Amino acid sequence: MIWLKYEKDLTAVMKKLALASICAIALLQASAAFAQQVTEIHLTYSKGQFQPNQVSAPADKPISFRIKNLDAKAMEFESTSLRVEKVVAAGTEGVVNVRALKPGRYEFYDDFNDKARGALTVQ
Amino acid sequence: MAKSGGRCVLALCTVVTVFLSASTARAEDPSSWREIETKYIFGFTLGSGIGLEGEKEVTVDSIGRFGKREGNYAATETKYEFEFTPSQFIQIEFGALGSTHDISGVNGLEDRSQIALSGAFAEFRYLALERTSSNPLAVTLAVEPTIRRIDETSGDRVLNYEFETTVNADLELLRNRLYAGFNLLYEPEFTKPAFGDSFHEATAGGSAALSFRIVSNVVLGGEVWYLRHYDAANLTAFTGDAVLLGPTLFIQFTPKSFMTAAWNAQVWGREIGNPVSLNLSEFQRNRVKLKFAYEF
Repeated sequence: MIWLKYEKDLTAVMKKLALASICAIALLQASAAFAQQVTEIHLTYSKGQFQPNQVSAPADKPISFRIKNLDAKAMEFESTSLRVEKVVAAGTEGVVNVRALKPGRYEFYDDFNDKARGALTVQ
Repeated sequence: MAKSGGRCVLALCTVVTVFLSASTARAEDPSSWREIETKYIFGFTLGSGIGLEGEKEVTVDSIGRFGKREGNYAATETKYEFEFTPSQFIQIEFGALGSTHDISGVNGLEDRSQIALSGAFAEFRYLALERTSSNPLAVTLAVEPTIRRIDETSGDRVLNYEFETTVNADLELLRNRLYAGFNLLYEPEFTKPAFGDSFHEATAGGSAALSFRIVSNVVLGGEVWYLRHYDAANLTAFTGDAVLLGPTLFIQFTPKSFMTAAWNAQVWGREIGNPVSLNLSEFQRNRVKLKFAYEF
């Protein structure tokens, strides 16, 4: 009787493990597909300016900004319409992930430097 | 009260003049201005803004209410709050409430002069519709549960639960220049006094506001509120309504700090069963808002 109870418990645990594994695989596949769809935009920040300062990306796909700050002081990548901000220390790279966007123009700037401006055009 | 209202207006005018004179030195081309966060540019009316992902903010937000039908009435409630934006669609705020009451000779209210730590609140905001360069309308849904141990109006010891629900919408009418804001409000409350029976009430209403960015860091405007009061949470026992009207001001001191101020005066109101002008039993003659914020 005791063995029968353990067998049932073991079967239940195995079923749960199998279900968890299927879910994990599905999640991994979904995140891999998501990663493939992300549009990466590479920016450098040098002498107080973004380079390039006009960039574009396709609509309805997530975007990942990679900002390399080559200056000797920190900058803050910020955008009201993208609703993101990130401080990038001197000589480092910062990554800012943005949701899938609708077509339009989205301005960005360095919050520590009023003259550093740029824009993303989503089509 | 007219004196304190006048002093507020004078102080606001002075601040605006200082900032305007500082700003006119710069060349002002609206197309070169940075986009503005709209949440606090409409006074008591809230815009749709939810901040930027990763942004944190501490604010001190005071609302003063002045003037009943007779006697002297001055009450303030201050929110000491922390705001943060964990995602590009959600903003969360929470904090403590402090209140002051200076009441004498007002019918139905005990005379008192007190300062108290009066409660706590939290707010959850969800951006339901975002503005783009081709869509000028943005809409945010917000809920704000609040618990108080001091009654907002009378200053009595109570246990009060409030659940403010709002729709905050705004429209960019002229790029970087002119904005319209609209709020819808439903605010049910449950109050258990220290003595006597507990009761339900609710306030419902809406507002419209117009704000003009005169220079890149100063926004001036006006707003109108229509508020209805009920002695039931389900809006069945209507007791009176009021229209409040007044100017608003927003100043961005630095990229990380700003203030907002507003003054609303009751211009029309009625109390059901009491044929008097204005509704001063549920609302006040004047209300003033002053908020300072620092982002980091």
